[in-house]
Amino acid sequence: MTGSVEAHETDERMDQRIETLDPDAARAVIEHLHAKGWTDGLPAVAATEESVELFLAESDRDPDDIVGRHPQLEREVTVRDVAVNAVMAGCLPEHLPLVLAAWDALSSERAALGGGWQSTSGPGPLLIVNGAIRERLGLASAGGALGPGFRVNSSVPRALGLTVRNGFGVRPGELEQATIGVPGRWNLCLGENEEESPWEPLSVELGHAPGDDVVSATLVRGFELVDNRSFSSAEDVLGDLVDTVQRSGALIGPHSPTGLLLNPEHARLFASAGMSKQDVREWITSRAGRTERDLAAVGKGLNGRGDREFEPDHFHRTIAGSSVAQFPIVVAGSSNAAMSLVFRVLGAWSGRGFPVR
Amino acid sequence: MVAIIDPTARHQVGASAAAAEAPRPTSLDGLRIGLLENTKRNADRILAAIGEELAARNDVGSLVHLTKSVFAMPLPVDLVEELINECDVVVVGVGDCGSCSASAVADGIALERMGIPTAVICTESFVAPSEAMAGLKGAPDFPFLRTAHPISNLSDAGIDERGRSLVAAVEARLLGDRVPALAS
Repeated sequence: MTGSVEAHETDERMDQRIETLDPDAARAVIEHLHAKGWTDGLPAVAATEESVELFLAESDRDPDDIVGRHPQLEREVTVRDVAVNAVMAGCLPEHLPLVLAAWDALSSERAALGGGWQSTSGPGPLLIVNGAIRERLGLASAGGALGPGFRVNSSVPRALGLTVRNGFGVRPGELEQATIGVPGRWNLCLGENEEESPWEPLSVELGHAPGDDVVSATLVRGFELVDNRSFSSAEDVLGDLVDTVQRSGALIGPHSPTGLLLNPEHARLFASAGMSKQDVREWITSRAGRTERDLAAVGKGLNGRGDREFEPDHFHRTIAGSSVAQFPIVVAGSSNAAMSLVFRVLGAWSGRGFPVR
Repeated sequence: MVAIIDPTARHQVGASAAAAEAPRPTSLDGLRIGLLENTKRNADRILAAIGEELAARNDVGSLVHLTKSVFAMPLPVDLVEELINECDVVVVGVGDCGSCSASAVADGIALERMGIPTAVICTESFVAPSEAMAGLKGAPDFPFLRTAHPISNLSDAGIDERGRSLVAAVEARLLGDRVPALAS
């Protein structure tokens, strides 16, 4: 992987060359991409044979290999198609293997294969990255990791969005039918803060060796903050997390698949109380829920919607079970304020991690 | 001059236009009417109401209730076989979300090309993805029936009323007659 040296010029060389480049021409090229409908509302980079070749040189994969499919549209995207959109998204050549691994992950997600890109929820693919690749690419996992402000965190998921738009042809107002949309839909990528986590990383929970470069992806409908810095015990924070997880807003059936980006301060609090990650998972998933009466009061009772009838006091769990796939917990962010984020998943996550190769 | 790569070039060489209209029967009498619901809330009940109305107005052979359980994917092979073997015409719906509206149209086009007359129903809110899918499948003028959105919170009476309001258009579409304007 020496491409980064060849692919982008040294600061000194660029300083010399910039004098000879035409910024107005660059703007005209960007306007052309907008006019063609090839970008997502933000400026994009024009892909050329030369730039795409630089990207492809960073991967051992055959450029004609298919990495993404949309069965109902009968459309496929190849390694080369993904490279074109990675150039356009503002990636560096060495980001391509991560973008391709993210497509491997999405290609195993039923929600992504089965219409998620067209969904009224407008879900964004949330990428969780583990391993040494975080440091190698400068991928943020601590302060402000969910962005904005970090090139690889922003441009890698944007490449996915441009591939959906340009490769599958799923565009807003046509096949894409998001009702309001999700903030940062195509910019949801962060590393797990393994260095400040008291527990094994997500990739290890998913069966990969510690230190391996692994990406996981799930389709996310929204985030909610749990700001709890005033805790005096683990139970305080666990209770606050339960209260947020069990909200009825995201429910569209009996369960609301959910995950947690857990601040390192909260993670250490739980660990110091003797809890493993699985203990936390079981604590929250067994307590988060609403009674049939509560759900009926907001128009989401389950009686009359299936074969089963429930007593008013029947407790419906928000999350169906306590496996890592059903409630992923990822330690992320910095230790400067104890805030965590609850996220809602479209469909069910496969619970798989994919090696970056 | 360096050429800019067109990132959409791949899918522009897609489906060429092809007929998507099965031969029509002259009447529904004696025919087996498939009602293919897609699990969207109330879709089964609206199709059932349409089926009852069709049966009241025609001497239909039978009503065949079928479910497409993964609403955004292509029809699975076993379900296609069931439709071919057990139905003479099929009512498909209700396209009431981003992916399932487009998918209902795709299924209708596929069935028409297999020789099965269909009536596909989508809600007014999802005309754009329905039309986009029809174009993508090479049948840009594929006629689908439109009904008011939403359907997910209709009362029992509202569902019966919706069935009644759609039945004439469904009948006309299945028989290849001019589809009357729909009351929404």
